[in-house]
Amino acid sequence: MRRLLIIPFLFSLLNADSGILDIKWPKPNLKHQKPSTPYPEVLTEGIKDVKLPVYIPNSYAYDKNMIVVADKNFYTISFLFKDATVMISGDRTYQESVSNKQEFKAILKATPPVTFEQEEGIMTAEFNRHGVNYSMAIECDKPQTDERCTDTKLIKDLYNRLIMVGGRP
Amino acid sequence: MKKLLIIPMLLLATACQQKSPTPMTDEEKKFTFSPVGKLTPTKSGQGRNGDNYIYAPGIRFPIESAPAYLNSQVYGIGGLYGAKGSLCDEKNYQYPWHDNYCEKRRWGMPLCPGGKGHQGVDIRTATCEKKKYYAVAVEDGTITYIGKYTVKLRGKSGRTYRYLHLDSPSVLVKRGAKVSRGDKLGLVSNNMGSTKTSIHLHFDMKETIKIDGKSTKVYVPPYTSLVDAYKRLLRGNP
Repeated sequence: MRRLLIIPFLFSLLNADSGILDIKWPKPNLKHQKPSTPYPEVLTEGIKDVKLPVYIPNSYAYDKNMIVVADKNFYTISFLFKDATVMISGDRTYQESVSNKQEFKAILKATPPVTFEQEEGIMTAEFNRHGVNYSMAIECDKPQTDERCTDTKLIKDLYNRLIMVGGRP
Repeated sequence: MKKLLIIPMLLLATACQQKSPTPMTDEEKKFTFSPVGKLTPTKSGQGRNGDNYIYAPGIRFPIESAPAYLNSQVYGIGGLYGAKGSLCDEKNYQYPWHDNYCEKRRWGMPLCPGGKGHQGVDIRTATCEKKKYYAVAVEDGTITYIGKYTVKLRGKSGRTYRYLHLDSPSVLVKRGAKVSRGDKLGLVSNNMGSTKTSIHLHFDMKETIKIDGKSTKVYVPPYTSLVDAYKRLLRGNP
């Protein structure tokens, strides 16, 4: 009931201002950011202008078939699996701000650090690191039966293998 | 002297234009929509009543042409939990529109009253025919991802839009492509990988909301933005 009361009030207080989020840059991990075996060009060239920490699962950091779409404010990297696609993206922009802090804090507080869920047949992970919002998704050719999309095991495994491979202030 | 005459004539012409706006088209006259957050049937869940905020102002309607019908797939006629009948029943292809953001689902949605629900809305095309009507870019931006049945557009605004169930072979864009508002993306179909769904476009919008130094990325309600966009489409000014 409390939520019902909050919602109509809360969103009359949204402001359609947009901007760049403040990033709390982590200490560089040279092992990941300057590895002894260089990452493939598709990755290094693709993310060279990105101004947010770029995370990808370490097991696919050397996948030359990855597809990188990026500019200074966001990146999306896709990996093609057999009958499935994996995508990770990060974005340092925001589109709205809220002036009523107490109300919205309740939603923020209720948001766990990472969520793993199946949405419309797509297995997803959502998390925030260093002030940046990231999404990871596995999309399967057979979303109802493919364990990669019905069970959180793979998405959790990918999440636990994330390493920062680039990005600069 | 000539100049002196031209000015009043121009003023008169402008006044005439203002007094006689373009008459409403038949489709504009027909178009009706139920209030935001009012889910139909009521058993389909609880929407965000009263949230009339337009989260994505000025976007283009995501289907190239009208008419289009925004209503529930799951609880509509022929749907999984809907009345018995054909998915192509003509009642599914009628106004008024019904919001279906927050419709019952099991996944988390912080902006839905129950904390769970549908992340976007389902839109039927003019007729119950797949691979006939194009989905189009709602704003200028970049195609960031193409999956088995998903096309994702990151708009210049930073908002991300998902188009689900397009016919894969018909998709006209590639990952990384820059698109302009109104560009064709692919044909609306019933593609959900090897599992088929009903013929419709699932459309959702995700954006980041900031408070103090923190932020969260959420699926925001598309209904009011789409009503606004559809009215412009019907007006011939998408």
